[in-house]
Amino acid sequence: MSVLALERVSKRFDKVVAVDDLSFTVKQGAVFGFLGGNGAGKTTSLRMVLDIIRPSTGTIRVLGREPGRSNAPEIGFLPEERGLYRNMTALETIAYFGRLKGMSPPDARKEGAALLDRFGLSANSKSTVDKLSKGMAQKVQLATALVNRPKLLILDEPFSGLDPVNQGLLEQEIRNMSQAGATVVFSTHVMQHAERLCDKLLLLARGRKMFEGTLDEARAQLPARLTVVARTTPALLQGVESAQDCGEAGDGWRRFDVRLKPSVSPGDVLEQCTLQNFPLRQFEQLHASLHDVFVHIVGATETRP
Amino acid sequence: MNDIFIIAGREFRQIAKMRSFWLTLLILPLCFAIGPVVQHLVGNNEASRVMVIDRTGGAEARALEQRVSLDHDRDVLTELSRYVEQHHLEAADRQALWSQHDRWYSDADVEQFIASGGLPLAKARIDRVKASDGPAFEAPANKYKFVAAPSSLAPLPEPMLDSALKPILKPRVKGAEAVDYVIEIPASFGASPLVRLWANRQPAADFMVLLQSVLTRDLRTRYLAAQGLSPRAAATASAIAPALAISTPPPGGGAKESMLVRSILPLAAAYLLMMSLVLSGSWMLQGTVEERSNKLLETVLACVSPERLMYGKLLGTAGVGIFMIVVWIACGLFAAYATKGAIADFIRPALDPLTSPISVMAMIYFFIVGYVTIATLFLAIGAMSDSMRDAQGYLMPVIMVILLPISILIQAVLGGNSGGILLEVLTWVPIWTPFTVLARLGIGIPAWEVVGSGILLAAFTAVELLLLGRLFRASLLAQGQRPSLAEVVARMRTAAD
Repeated sequence: MSVLALERVSKRFDKVVAVDDLSFTVKQGAVFGFLGGNGAGKTTSLRMVLDIIRPSTGTIRVLGREPGRSNAPEIGFLPEERGLYRNMTALETIAYFGRLKGMSPPDARKEGAALLDRFGLSANSKSTVDKLSKGMAQKVQLATALVNRPKLLILDEPFSGLDPVNQGLLEQEIRNMSQAGATVVFSTHVMQHAERLCDKLLLLARGRKMFEGTLDEARAQLPARLTVVARTTPALLQGVESAQDCGEAGDGWRRFDVRLKPSVSPGDVLEQCTLQNFPLRQFEQLHASLHDVFVHIVGATETRP
Repeated sequence: MNDIFIIAGREFRQIAKMRSFWLTLLILPLCFAIGPVVQHLVGNNEASRVMVIDRTGGAEARALEQRVSLDHDRDVLTELSRYVEQHHLEAADRQALWSQHDRWYSDADVEQFIASGGLPLAKARIDRVKASDGPAFEAPANKYKFVAAPSSLAPLPEPMLDSALKPILKPRVKGAEAVDYVIEIPASFGASPLVRLWANRQPAADFMVLLQSVLTRDLRTRYLAAQGLSPRAAATASAIAPALAISTPPPGGGAKESMLVRSILPLAAAYLLMMSLVLSGSWMLQGTVEERSNKLLETVLACVSPERLMYGKLLGTAGVGIFMIVVWIACGLFAAYATKGAIADFIRPALDPLTSPISVMAMIYFFIVGYVTIATLFLAIGAMSDSMRDAQGYLMPVIMVILLPISILIQAVLGGNSGGILLEVLTWVPIWTPFTVLARLGIGIPAWEVVGSGILLAAFTAVELLLLGRLFRASLLAQGQRPSLAEVVARMRTAAD
């Protein structure tokens, strides 16, 4: 069952096309990564899902319904730009957002207290936000998104500005939510988080979808690479695009950086070596990083490390 | 609807947590409480001390003392008469002078009042018919007290008096009482009109009038006698005065006074509306700016629509404003109770507008709709501003435009001006309508104007909510420089996108 579906969605601001003909679906329980550089259209897309802004064209279905505040009880949202009411206590803040999502006051306070306890902040539950450290405030912000135990958790650049401890906490929460059956959609331009967490990825550039699929499918977008130690160059083997000599490997062996032709698997090349009695001392497949895939697909200018 | 109340509740609590809220809330009652105390402390309630050096033999000094005494007794009789009239106590003695309210008490009347027992007898009679818990009559205090001139001053020639009187007018000895006025009446008075007066401050006008009337009368008597009139005839001629029959309104009930008293409640409503709007409106604005500058809005807007957020904020702020007014009214009621009805007696005519259900409905309508109309402006300013400094740029002109004419309006009503082009204009311009109609309810406003301006105000508020609602929605997530006027208009024209 798809929890989120966008069908040919576009959004224009005057003459600027922020999102261009975007279609994708997210299945229940998936962790879906929304990747793209700054200005790629990630935040605009998520705001349309939340009905904060409306699409110029196209349709959106959220939990099988039109976008709108009636979905709020089942959605958790952590925006990229975060803030809290400085004069409210940590518990009041979480309970307030719980109530805005339709929870009863006792339930909102109970769930808020449980979250603060889970995040190690129970001693600070009555502290006003302006007295909390930045790391503590970040946890409270995360709790406001989780208080209603959402079926769909939408996180816009959730790792930006988080300290390493809170990054780990957030990763764990995302895994917990997914294991509990919730669907998580998050946008990021930090590929390592997506690599570790996502079942499925969508790459955006200038508002357009450039890729949608699993991590393996994303890696398959790049030609495979091998490190081979051989007596002679493997460039003449069938399926090899190029082989760069990287130098001496001892006793007359040489190390080669081998690039395969598209859709040629390393196994095919290994089979060729065996058939042709091509002597090998090392045959190692190199896995492309998501960053490499991203750069390959959307271009170096669209990303940053 | 529930989310609107949740937002309103948060707004209310947020403002109620501010120290400035409680300070502001209590400042008004404190000022009213402290005002009379300060006035009492600063004001000079003691009788002015008067010394007369009469070199004519003492007749002029006696005449002055008699006049002061007579004037004081007249004050007592006049106040007693108004007290009797206010509390309907004529039954105590219908023939007594103090039961006759339609006259100016002549010297002869005052002498008759004193001769027939004066205040003690009057009070004894009044006490027989007065309710036991009714307020007692308090006679006005003496304005002047005569002190004897030291015997050392009498032989001094006039040029030496200046230095001799200095320690009397401004004594250096701690605890010694200063004499406020010293009058020297030379032996040649009559032949010469010259009289000298020393005062330790600018002489009070009523004292000068008193002094002049006594001495003028004596000069005239002397002049008429010199012209051959017998002393008795001369004295009678000088004392001739018209007997004035006066129609005065009952206390708190006549023309201008009544109009003013009736205006107290509507004027207070207009004033409280103004005060609570400016105060709570600026707090609401501060809250909205905080949401924008703290980047909170996106989280909130994921849960509630901008329109409902706006309504919640308006409701919360209106709650704050109404709470302030309730507290102020409660303080007023407490003061009325604490002063054992003295204030209540005075303001009873002010409650007259409340006896008409239509007036009450009009007051409530214009108060609430007026609140929404003006508070929405503050809200839109908050939505367009990234910081309080930004907001001040919009706020000051708006406050000036709204409140300056209102200050003039309140002055006009207090001055008894019930008509005029200014009041008409202010009545029909919606941002000033609520204040003006509220203020005019006491002094009289035609029913068609109340209904017409009320309909116009409702229409204006509906359009304002629509346009400023759009501006609010479009401005919430907009960032960057303050929008230009063209951008503001464009945002108002943009329906929900």
